[in-house]
Amino acid sequence: MSGGYRQQPGGAGGGVRKDGKRVAGKLRFTPPGAGGSRPVSDPRNLDGIPESVGGNEPQPAGHHVHDRLRTGTTVGQATALVDANAKITGQAWYGDDVRLPNEIIGRILRSPHHYARIRSIDTSAAEAMPGVLAVATGEDAPKTFGVLPVTKDEHAMAVEKVRHVGDLVACVAAVDEATAMEALGAIVVDYEELDPEFDPRKGLEDVDEPIHWRGKYHVGRTNVQKRVHQAFGDRSNIENAAASSRRAWRFEGVHHGFTEPHAVVAHWDANGRLQLYTPQQVPHYTHRALATVLDVPMHQINVIRTFVGGGFGGKSDPFPHEMCAAILARKSGRPVRITFDREEVYWINRGRHPSYIEVKLDADEDGRVAGLDVDALIDGGAFASFGHVTSYYNGVLATAPYELGSFHYTGARVWTNKPASGAMRGHGAVNTRCAVEVGLDDIAEQLAVDPIDLRLANLLPPHSRTISGFRITSNGMREALRRVREESGWDQKFRNMPLGKGIGIGCGFFISGSGLPIHWDPNRFPHATVHIQVDMDGGVTVHTGAADIGQGSTTAVAQVVSEVLALPLDMIHVRSHESDTSPVDLGSYSSRVTFMNCNAAIRAAMEIRESLLNAAWDMLGYHPTTLVMVDRRIVYKHDPSVGVSYLQALHKAQEDKGALIARGAYRSPPMGGVHKGAAAGLAPAYSFSAYVAEVDVDVETGLVKCTRVWAAHDCGKALNPLAVEGQIIGSCHMGLGQVLSERMTYGRTGHLQNANLLQYQIPSVHEMPHVTPIIVESSDPEGPFGAKEAGEGPLLPILPAVCNAVYDAIGVRPSSLPLSPDVVWGDIQKRMKSEGVEDPLDLESPRLTHGPLQEKLASRAEEHYGRDHARQRTEDTSPYVNGVLFGFDPTRPIDEQLEGWAAIDDPDPESMAEMGYAGRAWLKQEQRHMEGDD
Amino acid sequence: MVGEARVPMLPHAPKTVWKADVNDRAVAVLAPSNAVLLDVLRDNVGQLGVKRGCDLGTCGCCAVLVDGQPRLSCMTLAGDVEGCAITTVEGLADGHHLAPIQTCFAEHGGSQCGFCTPGFLISAQALLVQTSSPTLAEVNEAIEGNLCRCTGFQPIVESVMAAAALLRGEGEAPEPPTHPHADPHPSGPDEPQLPPGHAR
Amino acid sequence: MLTPPFVLHRPKSVEEACAIAAHLASEGRPFDWVAGGTDLLPNYKWHLNPKGDVISLAHVDGADALASDRIGCMARLHDVATSEVVHPLLAAAAAKVASSLIRRSATIGGNLCLDTRCFWYNQSEDWRRSIEWCHKADCGTGADCRVIPNQNTLCVATYQGDMAAAFMALGAEVELVGPNGERRMPLEDFFELDGMKKNVLQPGEFLLSVHLSEDATSRVGAYHKLRVRETWDFPEAGIAASWIPGDAGSLRVASTGLESIPGLHADLVDAHEDWTEKEGRKRLSKALQKAIKPVNNTVLPPRYRRSMVSVLASRALRAIMQED
Repeated sequence: MSGGYRQQPGGAGGGVRKDGKRVAGKLRFTPPGAGGSRPVSDPRNLDGIPESVGGNEPQPAGHHVHDRLRTGTTVGQATALVDANAKITGQAWYGDDVRLPNEIIGRILRSPHHYARIRSIDTSAAEAMPGVLAVATGEDAPKTFGVLPVTKDEHAMAVEKVRHVGDLVACVAAVDEATAMEALGAIVVDYEELDPEFDPRKGLEDVDEPIHWRGKYHVGRTNVQKRVHQAFGDRSNIENAAASSRRAWRFEGVHHGFTEPHAVVAHWDANGRLQLYTPQQVPHYTHRALATVLDVPMHQINVIRTFVGGGFGGKSDPFPHEMCAAILARKSGRPVRITFDREEVYWINRGRHPSYIEVKLDADEDGRVAGLDVDALIDGGAFASFGHVTSYYNGVLATAPYELGSFHYTGARVWTNKPASGAMRGHGAVNTRCAVEVGLDDIAEQLAVDPIDLRLANLLPPHSRTISGFRITSNGMREALRRVREESGWDQKFRNMPLGKGIGIGCGFFISGSGLPIHWDPNRFPHATVHIQVDMDGGVTVHTGAADIGQGSTTAVAQVVSEVLALPLDMIHVRSHESDTSPVDLGSYSSRVTFMNCNAAIRAAMEIRESLLNAAWDMLGYHPTTLVMVDRRIVYKHDPSVGVSYLQALHKAQEDKGALIARGAYRSPPMGGVHKGAAAGLAPAYSFSAYVAEVDVDVETGLVKCTRVWAAHDCGKALNPLAVEGQIIGSCHMGLGQVLSERMTYGRTGHLQNANLLQYQIPSVHEMPHVTPIIVESSDPEGPFGAKEAGEGPLLPILPAVCNAVYDAIGVRPSSLPLSPDVVWGDIQKRMKSEGVEDPLDLESPRLTHGPLQEKLASRAEEHYGRDHARQRTEDTSPYVNGVLFGFDPTRPIDEQLEGWAAIDDPDPESMAEMGYAGRAWLKQEQRHMEGDD
Repeated sequence: MVGEARVPMLPHAPKTVWKADVNDRAVAVLAPSNAVLLDVLRDNVGQLGVKRGCDLGTCGCCAVLVDGQPRLSCMTLAGDVEGCAITTVEGLADGHHLAPIQTCFAEHGGSQCGFCTPGFLISAQALLVQTSSPTLAEVNEAIEGNLCRCTGFQPIVESVMAAAALLRGEGEAPEPPTHPHADPHPSGPDEPQLPPGHAR
Repeated sequence: MLTPPFVLHRPKSVEEACAIAAHLASEGRPFDWVAGGTDLLPNYKWHLNPKGDVISLAHVDGADALASDRIGCMARLHDVATSEVVHPLLAAAAAKVASSLIRRSATIGGNLCLDTRCFWYNQSEDWRRSIEWCHKADCGTGADCRVIPNQNTLCVATYQGDMAAAFMALGAEVELVGPNGERRMPLEDFFELDGMKKNVLQPGEFLLSVHLSEDATSRVGAYHKLRVRETWDFPEAGIAASWIPGDAGSLRVASTGLESIPGLHADLVDAHEDWTEKEGRKRLSKALQKAIKPVNNTVLPPRYRRSMVSVLASRALRAIMQED
């Protein structure tokens, strides 16, 4: 046991030592009565109060509806995470740190075969072993589950078939790990091997034994799990293209690589309720799945989220091992702990889909993006996971930030006998974004224009609508581009650097919270709910289901409550670990927490604020509209010496009713079109980002090193700039991994060759460039204090920025990731051969002489700058939809104005098959259309 | 058809009393002969701040100080370090006083999810004991055996640099000056004492 | 991850170590030596050829000697990398091994005796079951080799120690001790071309120290290592070269990370005495590339690794001439 970090009694004098050390506990608590830890009320911090309500905080993007709630307490200030002390002292408790009395250890038996039918399982020898307390197989939990209600295709353990090496077959709980491992060896499984499939391209063919069977909705006898088609706009726009870029990409699968392996502890308490401890991003999904699989009502289960040692999407599915632990604990009557080896983390996977993506971009003679065609075939592995959504995201999230003349998307997700792919930071958007941005670079080269000017001249403005009907509100894309251009010295460097050195640009666009809660109708139940409770002591307890996975969501929620109530952060206590106490919430995925939970928290805090102000009204006689919340005081606006302390007001408000309790909820506004899949990609707001990266390429070895990144991200409003910058830099790191070295390597036999952190090559501190994070604040009208997401969007631009910089350095345009040295070296060799160059050091770098279009684009960009500025500040509120750049009147429906401009719902299989691999999925019919009646 | 090559895990290796100084306290626990330091620290001594990330020496989450040297506890045989002075993350603070490196990790965003943090703190602490003026290259080298997936390393490097500055006495004043005996009730001097409900 | 059970022995002297080894041998108990543990422990956790007894050299008196002419097997790579007495080439090579944390534990002896590596071999027991076992790890199963199938005699796992190439380039000798006494040999004779056998150590014998002659101190050397990340990664290819400046005939070039053993390329060097000229250097580099035949069992593909031999070699040669 460590000493603990106890509150120092009467510690008003202590705290800071000459040697810089600091007391860990909450410092210098004052005598009872004052509330808070600082003895005197701080003066009002006008720098933290917006201009619109009389403060000094500049608001270039205009005022915000939450401005009147600002008290200058914490919002916008770099704030250490409220749970940082637990983390730096080793007291944070992650999955494997939950040690209950009498615990036993669970281990999982996994399939040694890619694909096999289970003929029989004999567990008798294992059960008879001394020290073995429970053995379970698929028979113990026949019900299916899955993260999406439409695709429940997983079991706790294999029923009938195993679908990939590492698939769960059985599990054992024993007094210690060695005994459990020994018992696994005593389980006899009789398998009948089936023909496995690893190549997603072959998943489009009919086979004898598809990996799953979807009945009448099954596509032929293929392994296609989901196919998607969307088309919008006017195809005639691309007929006279002045420039065209078509590129077939191959993206390897990548893994989240969080440092904490999955771990779970299950315990059935004395009342027969399940207490399940798990590091989950979305405890609610686990909660639902447990209820189904265990056949127990949800209210008899308490899901306790431990600290989460990194998630990035990889801890957002309900997992079979969570079921296993619960089943073993139920059988043995003892708490069961299961902790994964790193290899098992890769077996459960849910990483980014390995993908074949073909992107075709066409630009007309005015440098407008006349057409964007995307075809994405994604390798789902053995289970559906989030794949249904991923299939859409691979296309639809490419419909902004540029105004498009037409958009055509075909997507398909296939099952293969590999660990399941799922959601990973930048879900579905990352690979296509990379291909699109590299394509734009290619177009710019063909048009002999600067790629940044090309982008600036084609941006959708704030308060507009994309071609697929997404509602764009705030939009800081233009400012992000301008900032990185300026700070990186782009105009001096681009196409001007010596061989081996290059600079590149990439942009990003991402959802700030998925608009559709998967399990319920957003119009009937809120996305997020937050409860606040304030009792006599003045401490504020906030109950939320927001799952802090290190991104600082607990801190953000605490901050907004602290801001509204003008209370120091150490008076706000966020309780978010238990499903018993936290309101239903979808947890941390799709970058929703800041937007949705903070909005809900603000609403709850407003209720508390109102009670306090009314009490102060009672006491002071001044109407609440004339009262101001300052640090632990409520004062009269025109004479701050007139006021009451927070506790006085609180106690007044509590008269007759005790603790103040409030709740707030967030519901997204109605949005989106009516076409098939219109809900995919809808979000109440979108984030935008632009990065410039500099690279050094060793032309002899092909080693690429990223040396410098300027990263501008529009997060609406940085509630906590420290956290936002952390997300930006961290995203750069993760994206660099995918672009430079990370891949899940499946060898010629389909086995995952690198299920460990040594050979799954995550960049180290040495590979990390110096990143200059640039926060762009476009102040989203619906975001909490204007905030939008910053957790996933910042990952997108780094991949294309590096790819484009590599081209600038060596004149070779990549079409597969990662850019491992052997790949880059191979590309350099090809270029040398085609140019007849002997020594790679004699190659020439690409150069740019501006063509006639450059001037035109620059002036259009300048014109749009004015347009966007006015729209951002809502000085111009006229409607704007994608298509105005192509001459349409935004006030009339577009399909009325131009024949051919339409959403195409009815796919033509033949023409789609020309698009790429995914298009070919449409050559097959679903079972229901195949037999008999038509 | 090939045979089966399962290596037996039982019977357990013989257990002996394992003694060491963990965070300045003498401990003696019963551990098997083949025990790895990480397992002994977590399962027997109860130092759950030492984290198991990859268990194969790459992630650095399990780093501890053994006689002042940073070591990967997952790659160290417990028997080999018997009798040594071992410091885990729980032992970095001086009583109730956090080490500068801990404070700086919190304040400079060096810790996000926090799982790798104990290992980084150990590596950084080992460096700062040697020098309070490390160069960027020295900091990078000191933490090159630790893997962080959240922060992108840059805030960690900044945290180490800030801690070094604190140790040199160059840090910014940690907190604004306080007036411990000032009026503990943060209320204004001329507060009107209206009876409840009076003005309304 | 648990290692299979074993008994750890901790001798305090070379004599005691030999006595324990002799005792175990007499009882027919197979055992392994362990120095830093950074190679052995992961292998044991993966259940790769674990033994019931392990003799630790960590407490053997004097085994951590660190001097310009003699380096003990227990000398930690961190200490070698930061030492001012050892040859700069050795310090530089040691500094490139794995990560700073691993170098605190890892030793010279362990690095030279590093187990050969292969992505079909360095996997867990469950993983190897899924490929129906590996013939290097799972002897007795009749498993085939996955790198070169349809044969189960030769093992082509790759030797990926960094120090061997540097030591060879300096002409180091190794001192082996065992129950039958001690012997010395040039390092290049220590390795045996088989991924399973690896080296000439007899049962009960271990590598006690490495010796460097007077000649080594006058040498200028360089070690160039191919890896994706500047930490953690084993060499995908490594070339060390040294010479006594001005004496073209004194050149020694060694490679590692490419085949089942590290290699000293004396014959090729002798055939290219004009290596101090640009063209000669190019020819020598190409000749080295031609002579080395990596297989597909590490992170990067063998064709690429082979092509990098000439790049690394010409860089190392240029470096020792201190041309850039």
